[in-house]
Amino acid sequence: MIPETVGPTPEQKAQWELEGYIVLENALRGAQLQRLQAAFDKAVVECKEDWLARVARGETMPTCFDIPQPLERDEIFVDIVDHPSWFGLLQDFTDGETLFLGPQVRSVPVWPVSYTGWHADVPMSNPLHIKVQIYVEDVDEKSGEFAFVPGSHRAGSGPYKRPKMGESMPGHRRLPGKAGTAIVFNSYGWHTAMDNTTTTSRKSIILIYERRTPEKVHPDTFKAIAPLCTTPERRALFGLEV
Amino acid sequence: MVRIDAHLHVFAKSSSLFPRTSTDLAPSDREESIEKFLGFMQENTIDQAMLVQLGGPQIAEHAYLQQCLKTYPDRFLGIGLIPPNCPDPKAHMDRLAEGGGIVGFRLGTLGGPRDPFAPIDVRTFESYPIWQHAAERDYVLWLYIRAADAHLTAYLVEAFPQVRVVFNHLGICPGEGKFRVDEYGRPRIETPSYNPSLHTVYRLARYENVTVLLSGQYAFSKQAYPYEDLMGWHRTLYNDFGADRLMWASDAPWVYEEPGYGQMTQLINQLMPQISESERAAIMGGTAQRFLRFPQRCSLP
Repeated sequence: MIPETVGPTPEQKAQWELEGYIVLENALRGAQLQRLQAAFDKAVVECKEDWLARVARGETMPTCFDIPQPLERDEIFVDIVDHPSWFGLLQDFTDGETLFLGPQVRSVPVWPVSYTGWHADVPMSNPLHIKVQIYVEDVDEKSGEFAFVPGSHRAGSGPYKRPKMGESMPGHRRLPGKAGTAIVFNSYGWHTAMDNTTTTSRKSIILIYERRTPEKVHPDTFKAIAPLCTTPERRALFGLEV
Repeated sequence: MVRIDAHLHVFAKSSSLFPRTSTDLAPSDREESIEKFLGFMQENTIDQAMLVQLGGPQIAEHAYLQQCLKTYPDRFLGIGLIPPNCPDPKAHMDRLAEGGGIVGFRLGTLGGPRDPFAPIDVRTFESYPIWQHAAERDYVLWLYIRAADAHLTAYLVEAFPQVRVVFNHLGICPGEGKFRVDEYGRPRIETPSYNPSLHTVYRLARYENVTVLLSGQYAFSKQAYPYEDLMGWHRTLYNDFGADRLMWASDAPWVYEEPGYGQMTQLINQLMPQISESERAAIMGGTAQRFLRFPQRCSLP
């Protein structure tokens, strides 16, 4: 069942509206964080050879490694989707209509250039689109940390260009963090992963949500984890019922 | 305004004068002569072109290419090949380049770790001596890198900022087992619609020594000419690299039958309608003239 959640504080709500993101330090901690780290590393070991083969076949990119079907690999990946540290915020921002679209359990190797440039995920005509980026291990400055342009989620902001160097984006904010930090952000806003000039790859999980609309509800998408969705709230979150 | 075809192949029938390796694409009795190509140049007002070696990497196998370059020194420049496991790649490169005309070398592999998470030291890459020598002698490197090596290019480009780098065919890095010859005798490369090069080659736009050929569309597109499903890739390359680092090329002779050489000379108009006339001029020849240092010559009448 979905644990009891709390909505945003007035300060969080104001920041969400003004800047488009909220940083939640220690959103995951202790035994739960350790369990997530262990599940993450186990999945990497299990999936890496297949990923390397797909890279060699030109079917996927070599500059980031996403675990396929993570929700089916370990229950912890399901449990974080409605984690109380952020789910109450999501429900507040979507007026109780949060729909989960999918996870990216992602390892990003060190590379001279960030694997992605500045971008917004969806146009503002799209229903409200929210991502939660969770740092599975510490992500220090200059190690591929998430960065966001505060206020870029608002209608009338910009226009924004795509600078070749990540640090050249005017007004951006780098968001390094300790393991267990979660960053909730509005995907209308401009964001990127900064260059990683360290020797440590980045491990993070990106959870993708949207305000529910009928056309985005596909009951088959998460049917494999239906046995873990025993409450109406969770079944609604995973779109198991139209 | 100069118009340059920045990548194509010519070859003779295999003979003692012009020995070459036979392949499915270029069997030993097939001939695609320089005279035939000159005819297409004349018809389509193309002034100059880059001839890319096909038919084997050995010195002797470059004989036809070298004869073409010697016969038409103000018309053509050339790109040579280096054998795999070449014991002395530097000597090989210099020997091919010494007559003039061959200005660079095409690479398909880089010889570094397959695992992108492995520690990287570019000095251990098998291709490192080639890059080092290209830097010393100002040779161009012409990259059509296999997908397994796509992550390695950034390290070499960064290590050798003085080396001029040309990514072939929209920057695509072909995957293992994805090549075949199509019904028109052309290369066909199965490529996902979500192009993995968006997160490898296209991310190298920040390096001023990197350029990309707008060519080979027929090999990747899932549609007939003018390959409109590739407009997005062209738009991204234009946004990231700009017209001053993009070069049109035909990839002849594979296009002679379908869609036809003349059609290929019109393709940029079809796929990049948003660009200005000066940008079109850059892509159709200006960038190649500057970056590849083609000799000055008057346009064909």
